[in-house]
Amino acid sequence: MAIVLVIFLLIRCLSANAQNYVSGNVKTSFFSSTPIEDIRAASNKTSAVLIAESGAFAFQVPVKSFEFEKKLMQEHFNENYLESDQYPTASFKGSIEPNINWTKNGEYNVMAKGIFTIHGVGKTRTIPAKISIKDGSVNITSAFDVACADHDIRIPTLVFTKIAKVISVKVNGTLIQKP
Amino acid sequence: MSKIYTLITFILLISGKLFAQSADSLLQSITDTSEFKMINPAFKSTRIVLSHSTETQKAHDLDMRIRHHFGDIGGEFGSAHTLYGLDVASDLFIGFDYGITDRLTVSIGRSKHDELYNGFLKYKLFEQRGGKHHDFPLNITFLAQMGWITRAPFATNEFTVYANRFTYFLQPLISRKISQRLSLQVAPSVLLRKNTVESRDPENLFSIGFAGRLKLTKRLSFIADYTLVNGLNRPNDLSQKLYNPLGVGLEIETGGHVFSLNFMNSEFISENSFIADTKKSWKHGGVRFGFTISRNFTLFKSKDKNIQSKIY
Repeated sequence: MAIVLVIFLLIRCLSANAQNYVSGNVKTSFFSSTPIEDIRAASNKTSAVLIAESGAFAFQVPVKSFEFEKKLMQEHFNENYLESDQYPTASFKGSIEPNINWTKNGEYNVMAKGIFTIHGVGKTRTIPAKISIKDGSVNITSAFDVACADHDIRIPTLVFTKIAKVISVKVNGTLIQKP
Repeated sequence: MSKIYTLITFILLISGKLFAQSADSLLQSITDTSEFKMINPAFKSTRIVLSHSTETQKAHDLDMRIRHHFGDIGGEFGSAHTLYGLDVASDLFIGFDYGITDRLTVSIGRSKHDELYNGFLKYKLFEQRGGKHHDFPLNITFLAQMGWITRAPFATNEFTVYANRFTYFLQPLISRKISQRLSLQVAPSVLLRKNTVESRDPENLFSIGFAGRLKLTKRLSFIADYTLVNGLNRPNDLSQKLYNPLGVGLEIETGGHVFSLNFMNSEFISENSFIADTKKSWKHGGVRFGFTISRNFTLFKSKDKNIQSKIY
């Protein structure tokens, strides 16, 4: 009897645990625009997690996974700007507010509140995101701006005209229930 | 019965723990960063001062490289009469390096000295923190360069066989990025040639190169290289006094360009010339100024719209 109860509880916790949503291939892209040059880069190696119970949300992207059209530019991005040997990831850790019913299909406009960290410098942000839930999978789309100066990313005067002071970032991906 | 309740409470606690498993730890458990462990390059450019570095061209990037060695700063051929060597071009070089892949570079170039045409293949074998377990400690690149001397013979007995105009240079390059600031390189090499100074001067000339980079700022580095060649399998007391090449310089990177401002005792630019034939010494005013301008061109546009860049 007791064993049955224990097993029942175990199954319960496991199923409760199943209300985590994860993805390992969320797409992150950014765009820098100045009158001289437009630069785009993208990575589809962003991992994201969502804990339904608390609304806790986090994503992380390896800086070296960003691909540029010009490989030399990619090298400079890593070495001179983001110093990816020392600061290998960019991340967001926080929660979705207001927390929603993740089992109900529909579209929701929410805010992601938390700390956005890049180049080793964290900043508290409230980022608007659009969530659409369909049959147990959660699609998250968000667009936000990152000011280089906020994260101590220095742009030398020599290339000042080629790299924007504020970079537009887009995140888009579908999270599925983790069994 | 109380035991069962304890157990139930315990399980509930555990489940609560699991439940509250932080987004952070879950994130770490699903993130695989192993394929991005490779460290950023040890050197900015494919050359250091005189020597090659372990770096190769990026795939589909073309590098145009213009190098210049002026004349002796001091001594008999220098001083104010030649504006400290600036009137003299002891060697000029123009070359094009193209990356077939990120690992394989092909190149052609031409030097003023000996009217030398050269071509090389350079292949990156290993990268630091590459390999199966992302723990390989070194960068290893292999260089094979051929030189073709096209000038007229200086003496009737020179180049009696046409094949004597060709020289072959083979060099494994081994480097390590010690820290974000410091990178070191060692490169043993062999130069196969027929045109020697005298009979005791070996046709297969062994040498060993030492090089380093010390980053002063993100875009400015101090670079140096030294090639030990005399006194290995070549005697030190040949009729023609020859010296070991030593170059020092400042390397400035500005986006697609790399400039370096150098001082060296070697008159010549190509490995096939300077390793065997450096006749000037850092003493007695034999040092000279030289510069390198390198410009990279990306030849093909990416098909991926998400990463397309545009220059207005």
